[in-house]
Amino acid sequence: MDFTPVIEGFEVLLQPENLMFCLIGVVAGMAIGVLPGLGPAATIAILLPLTYSMDPIPSIIMLAGIFYGGIYGGTVTAVLLKLPGETASAITALEGYPLAQKGQGGKALGVGAVASFIGGTVSIVVLTMVAPVIAGFALEFGPPEYTALTLLGILLVATIGNGSKLKALAGAALGLLLATVGRDAFTGELRYTAGSLELTDGLQFVPIAMGVFGLAEILYNLERRRNGGSIPVATDRVLPTKATMKESAAPIGRGGVLGFLLGLLPGGGATVSAMASYGIEKRLNKGSTPFGKGAIRGVAGPETANNAAATSSFIPLLTLGIPANATMAVMFSALLIQGITPGPQLVATDPDLFWSVINSMYLGNIVLLVLAIPLIGVFVRILYVRSSILSPIIVLIVCIGAYTISNRIFEVMVVIVFGVLGYLMKKYGFDPAPLVLAFVLGSLLEDNFRRSLLMFDGDVTRVTGHPIAVTLLGLLLVVVLIPILLKLVKSRRPDLIGEDENGTGAGAETETGAKVPASVTAGSEAGAASGAESDSASDAGSDTASGVATGPNGDRRDHPPRSPDGSSAERPEEGAAGSHPSQT
Amino acid sequence: MSRPSCSRRPLIAVAAGGLSVGLVACGGVTDGTAGGDGYPAEPITLTVGQDAGGSTDLIARALAEGSQEALGVSMPVENQPGANGAIATQEVADQDPDGYELTLLNSTLITVTSQVVSEEEAVTLDELDVITGLSRDDYIMVANADTGYGTVDDVAADSGDLSYGTAGVGTGSQLAQLLLFDEAGIEGNEVPFDSGAPALTAVMGGQVDVATIQVGEAMPQIEAGTIDPIVIFSDERNQHLEDVPTAQEEGYEVPVAQYRAVALPEGAPEEVKQSLREGIGEILATEEYQQFNDENYLTPEEVSGEEVEEQWTELADQYEQSVQDNGIDLGGTGE
Repeated sequence: MDFTPVIEGFEVLLQPENLMFCLIGVVAGMAIGVLPGLGPAATIAILLPLTYSMDPIPSIIMLAGIFYGGIYGGTVTAVLLKLPGETASAITALEGYPLAQKGQGGKALGVGAVASFIGGTVSIVVLTMVAPVIAGFALEFGPPEYTALTLLGILLVATIGNGSKLKALAGAALGLLLATVGRDAFTGELRYTAGSLELTDGLQFVPIAMGVFGLAEILYNLERRRNGGSIPVATDRVLPTKATMKESAAPIGRGGVLGFLLGLLPGGGATVSAMASYGIEKRLNKGSTPFGKGAIRGVAGPETANNAAATSSFIPLLTLGIPANATMAVMFSALLIQGITPGPQLVATDPDLFWSVINSMYLGNIVLLVLAIPLIGVFVRILYVRSSILSPIIVLIVCIGAYTISNRIFEVMVVIVFGVLGYLMKKYGFDPAPLVLAFVLGSLLEDNFRRSLLMFDGDVTRVTGHPIAVTLLGLLLVVVLIPILLKLVKSRRPDLIGEDENGTGAGAETETGAKVPASVTAGSEAGAASGAESDSASDAGSDTASGVATGPNGDRRDHPPRSPDGSSAERPEEGAAGSHPSQT
Repeated sequence: MSRPSCSRRPLIAVAAGGLSVGLVACGGVTDGTAGGDGYPAEPITLTVGQDAGGSTDLIARALAEGSQEALGVSMPVENQPGANGAIATQEVADQDPDGYELTLLNSTLITVTSQVVSEEEAVTLDELDVITGLSRDDYIMVANADTGYGTVDDVAADSGDLSYGTAGVGTGSQLAQLLLFDEAGIEGNEVPFDSGAPALTAVMGGQVDVATIQVGEAMPQIEAGTIDPIVIFSDERNQHLEDVPTAQEEGYEVPVAQYRAVALPEGAPEEVKQSLREGIGEILATEEYQQFNDENYLTPEEVSGEEVEEQWTELADQYEQSVQDNGIDLGGTGE
């Protein structure tokens, strides 16, 4: 392939002013991401308004900074406070927190930063190679293909989510319903607008994300009392020593590959890959420190995997226009606001922008590494600020941001309504992510389905003329059937799967009622991971642990579980679900 | 499409506006070109009912660029997207007619959309005074190059076995295509998209056979040879596509185009309107603005406010008549 646009892109990025925007992004992302409970999706939603008034390229650069800063901010709280901002960093807490208790928090954070950097970079490099190839299929994707892809995406998001599948499906159903508000794109009829002119175009995504992720999380945090205890400051050496790096090298390598592959999955591979990496490292157990007592390998592997997955989930977004998880959904609308429509056309019609998006991720990642190490101490101090001071400031930022979306108060009201809804959902154990994703994908699903029907003249069987759509629908069937088949197998051979199912399954259920964010206890990683607070639609479903893998062609292979802790690394490879970005 | 290069949101624009107020106040100077009575003495807000980055927004920003020079004050552009511009237009119509609140109007909002939406939603020119017309943006029907369609007759030959894309319900794109197909007796499946861009993609990918979109959207692909132009809908040929016939030349009475104009709430003092006419006229005459028109395939249509009101009202009546006469279903709750 031709790398000229990639290299030309770097020239632009490396201008001092752009470097500065990246720096601001990383700092802001870390500052918000370090707050307990606020994961990357919330961080980006809250900080989105910062990028409104900027030109597309600096604004993307800043977003990349916010993205990586937000992710790493979660790592900091996971290690120091055992309060991960997202489920993925809960795994980091398993070994990172014991290290911090031993006064080696700096070591954990340093290795975490290096591991994140490597994981992210590996993924971006592969993304650079793969994305244009996938985008080459762009024109093959018409309404029938998008219908199949969005359907698959919604289903995966709902079934891979944390906790109860029923609750996830309920959330997704609500999201689909909310997506129907506004003018029917085919008949012009108004639906559920209650006579409000503001609703004729439907609800907007950004205020919903701001409410459900940002405001709801703040409300929920206010209710929770931080259980006392002093906040440890990373006093030891943050820069990893040679010996530490030597011990971490292999886990980082394994984590990078694992994370990249699992990150392609709709539903969010970050947590799954972090868990899988942790499981592998634990089984290999080659280091001096036992797992659960602060083994640095248990920080390095999962942190790499988690970041590699977070980055590789950009592939379905940038090539097909389908957000694979909640964080990507927020990034999706952030790019839309800048007039950039992620999707198959992007690389062809606007290669400059496409490569700036990808290149700014390189930049964000590098700036994070260079910055994170010296600044960790500063960010930790944010945690000392009382939430009675911090929370109103963030709420204010959110409200101003919402207002600037369309310069009217209506969006602020939407944020408040969805903030309250999101708070209630969290309180009663509903993960808000399926709702948000189903909302994004819902109108794409409906419009493309109806368009397909118009194209087919109402004859659904004409879909057989679209091999890609048929393949995707086949995968959909597999996803629906797997749990049913598993149940059948389980009832016949309880010895084979039963033990494993309970491992993760039971852990996932505890999440729903958990008041204390991360009941991380050494040695029970599966339960701990699911018990952690999360605002991304990512967790290992019980399917994963049962060791069923689906190949890219939709063939199913049943494997016996590899280990009793449910960490066998096989994951379905359905690839990405896709959608056509809707815009006005 | 070209991309906006200036700041896209009001934060910075407002700051700049504030700055210029300061300057004017300190110096006690109003620009001579702006006319008497001290108008304009503060920034003039130009509200756009479409998203930043769209063609309507680009036009507003091109105008705003010349404001400081011509009117002596800045012109912050405020995007208030929603309901195809109805929200923004209504909002401006409700303001004081002091000359500091302008809006950039899309003709299809008045002429086409009003036939699809309910009465409360429909926007009329009654509450607005048009300052001046700006330009015309043509609609063009295009076909995938593989179809081999070159004329309306080619398309008509496949009648009944066709699908066609439009930019959505209540748009000029939909109206133009439906009227043409009706007159030419072409039958096919209408597939509405959210805007012109996805309709274009569908033509390129062969998901639909033809689509009607705006010339600016189609140009890059026409030049690349992936799509072929078939017919232009305005009453004269587009200077950038001299070879493409108009629907009228082909024998179909379908004069649909997107016109744009600047308006303010009804009842502004004549001096204010005169200052605006002169100031905006000055902007339109600049080389930069003319170049902008050219780059975006816009045809200048710089007629007086009265002419705009007359023309648009006429078009609205004409469309309504055609739609009724031919029993065309644009969808929606209107009529």
